[in-house]
Amino acid sequence: MAYRVLIVDDSPAMRTFVRRVIDLSGFELSQCFEASNGGEALELLRNEWVDAILTDINMPEMDGQEFLRRLSQDELLRSIPAIVISTDATAHRIASMASLGARGYVTKPFLPETLRAELERTLGVPCD
Amino acid sequence: MTETVIRQALRDSVNEVLERMFFVETQGECADPECAEPAGAAPADEIAAALTFQGEPPGALLLRLTSGAARQIAADFLGIDEAEVSDVQTSEVVRELANMICGSVLSRVESAAAFHLAAPRMVPPSAEIAGSLSNTRYCVLLSNGRLTVNIGTGIPICPQPAQSAC
Repeated sequence: MAYRVLIVDDSPAMRTFVRRVIDLSGFELSQCFEASNGGEALELLRNEWVDAILTDINMPEMDGQEFLRRLSQDELLRSIPAIVISTDATAHRIASMASLGARGYVTKPFLPETLRAELERTLGVPCD
Repeated sequence: MTETVIRQALRDSVNEVLERMFFVETQGECADPECAEPAGAAPADEIAAALTFQGEPPGALLLRLTSGAARQIAADFLGIDEAEVSDVQTSEVVRELANMICGSVLSRVESAAAFHLAAPRMVPPSAEIAGSLSNTRYCVLLSNGRLTVNIGTGIPICPQPAQSAC
């Protein structure tokens, strides 16, 4: 089965990198959407269904915290698993994002297999 | 945080970030005496990015790369040919690199504390971290140039060494 993934990050370079890493990892991707902040992501999610969301925290206009908060308040969208990708590996931040509904957390720098494993875990993909 | 702890965290962070996210192996620590010069004496062919962080303690990180190394790193990160990399893409990648190194260092030295990193911005290569309580420098050679990182606690980045009012 191939999956539809949304990457939310204000850095076009980082979005390109995450997409590339997903490809390199061998994760089966059918479609990849991109948004540069939480507001843009919510707008996109009105029209496109995705299986998983990968989101940064620090973004202009609507940051990752507010984005997760809005997702959790939406009856339909709250079922989409969101994984945070961040440089911030402090216990405080990880706990804070989990409390807002993040189902996974990947700390930069990461290996392609780490991202794949986190995507598969949150999506409930059975191990090979 | 002692300077030894910060320096070790800086070394580990730079190497790990370059290997994992940029697929670049360093060629060892830079022994060039120029690296020991104040940042204000940076050669003109360098580009630099800086960011500040709030927390306990607050501080700033300054990343400088020779232009050849910056372009190579951008190409490796984006998975495209070096000749195809634009200046805008190079700047984006250098800012992202600064962000990752800073986050990694802070997570290593203060994993239980809360930090907030400001958005990285491009600064003149002559910028420096002025007046900080500590200023730790780490410089590595890459196949196509040099990367230098300064991390200091206390005071924000000054655009020029002579301007002390920032």
